[in-house]
Amino acid sequence: ALLPYEPRVPPGALLGKVTATTFALERPCCVFHRLTNASDTVWLVVAFANASATFRNPPSRADVPLYEGLPTAHAYMTLETAAAAYACSVPGPVLRVGGDAACGGQHGQTACNGPLPSPGPYRVKFLVMGCHGPKAETRWSDPILLRRARSPSTVDPTPTQRSSDVVVIASILASLGAGLAVAALGAVG
Amino acid sequence: MAKTENGVRIFQGLLILGNVVIGMCGIALTAECIYFVSDPHGLYPLLEATENDDIYAAAWIGIFVGFALLALSILGIVGVIKSNRTLLLVYIILMLITFAFEMASCITAATHRDFLTPNLFLKQMLERYQKPEANNNNDKWMSEGVTKTWDKLMLQNQCCGVNGPSDWQEYTSTFRTTHSDADFPWPHNCCVLDSQGHPINLDGCKLGVPGFFKSNGCYAAISGPMNRQAWGVAWFGFAILCWTFFVLLGTMFYWSRIEY
Repeated sequence: ALLPYEPRVPPGALLGKVTATTFALERPCCVFHRLTNASDTVWLVVAFANASATFRNPPSRADVPLYEGLPTAHAYMTLETAAAAYACSVPGPVLRVGGDAACGGQHGQTACNGPLPSPGPYRVKFLVMGCHGPKAETRWSDPILLRRARSPSTVDPTPTQRSSDVVVIASILASLGAGLAVAALGAVG
Repeated sequence: MAKTENGVRIFQGLLILGNVVIGMCGIALTAECIYFVSDPHGLYPLLEATENDDIYAAAWIGIFVGFALLALSILGIVGVIKSNRTLLLVYIILMLITFAFEMASCITAATHRDFLTPNLFLKQMLERYQKPEANNNNDKWMSEGVTKTWDKLMLQNQCCGVNGPSDWQEYTSTFRTTHSDADFPWPHNCCVLDSQGHPINLDGCKLGVPGFFKSNGCYAAISGPMNRQAWGVAWFGFAILCWTFFVLLGTMFYWSRIEY
């Protein structure tokens, strides 16, 4: 079943909502309540924007593409959560994709939420998996582009203009010094 | 005869007054420059790492110029009272030398102030903060100084980065090579810390939730003291030199009119 919800980056003023390897998502509260029961899990599908059209929902838990396969499969699923965590009565914090820098090494069956390797752009959707396979999904989000940081060598430290104070001080002092030199020569000579 | 006698006395009085003012200003200049050289805000390592610490050189010159002005003003007072040609000649020559040094100090302080732009400190912070290995001992010393100073700045002034925490996101840095972007979008010192020095909400800090991280830039805390130092040395020295100019002119005139 296709739910009309579209995941998005939180619109509020959060300075860290999109970084170079992570991004935040609004929590999908009260979106899955009609279609799910207690044993269902909600996954987040993260795919490169140009690979989202070719993504096929995995038929079972064992076929779920994981974080380690992102370079080849161009998509992975993460943030495996019980559907009850997104219930209407449980307001919670925003979700952070890519926030776990410690995982990604173990090739197991656990869903790793590792940092994203490239700036993207990425598209995400939520997928509800029951015990017999996918039950419901949301729409794909708009493409999310991560930050690209510039090198510090592009920072130009040279000052833009000479302040007028320097000109005033230098010119007046120079003329005073010259005046003294002339007076000294006149008094001696 | 009495009129010129009175005129000479008045002129002597003016010169003595001028020298008294120079002496007091010399003491004030020395005190001001000692205050600046003592670096009460702990910002010297930042300047040392830019290899452009000439506003400190100007303050050092100011200390010695202040002492010289005090000593020479006493010499000048004695010379004027005794109307001694030799003493006054020595006074004039040494004062001209001191004048030249103080001119250099003022112009240096004013000129090098202009080099202290936000981008200068931004580039230095990005390249040196938490730099793990160094090319030589001098480089290591400068990087450690920059790291310690920035940590202290962020803790004491509740600020982060030069323009704000976004500096750490807009540019790659040496810090980024050792600390992953996912765990450290900005250093943890940018988070609001509790009394033990731990972030009160690390996840909120990483996301940039207002109240859990410091959103101000540190440039105001850096440039404020440095500007005061540069302008203090430059403008006070300038004022002293303007006054000294007139006293010196008067002394040269007096010297030329003393009869053997």
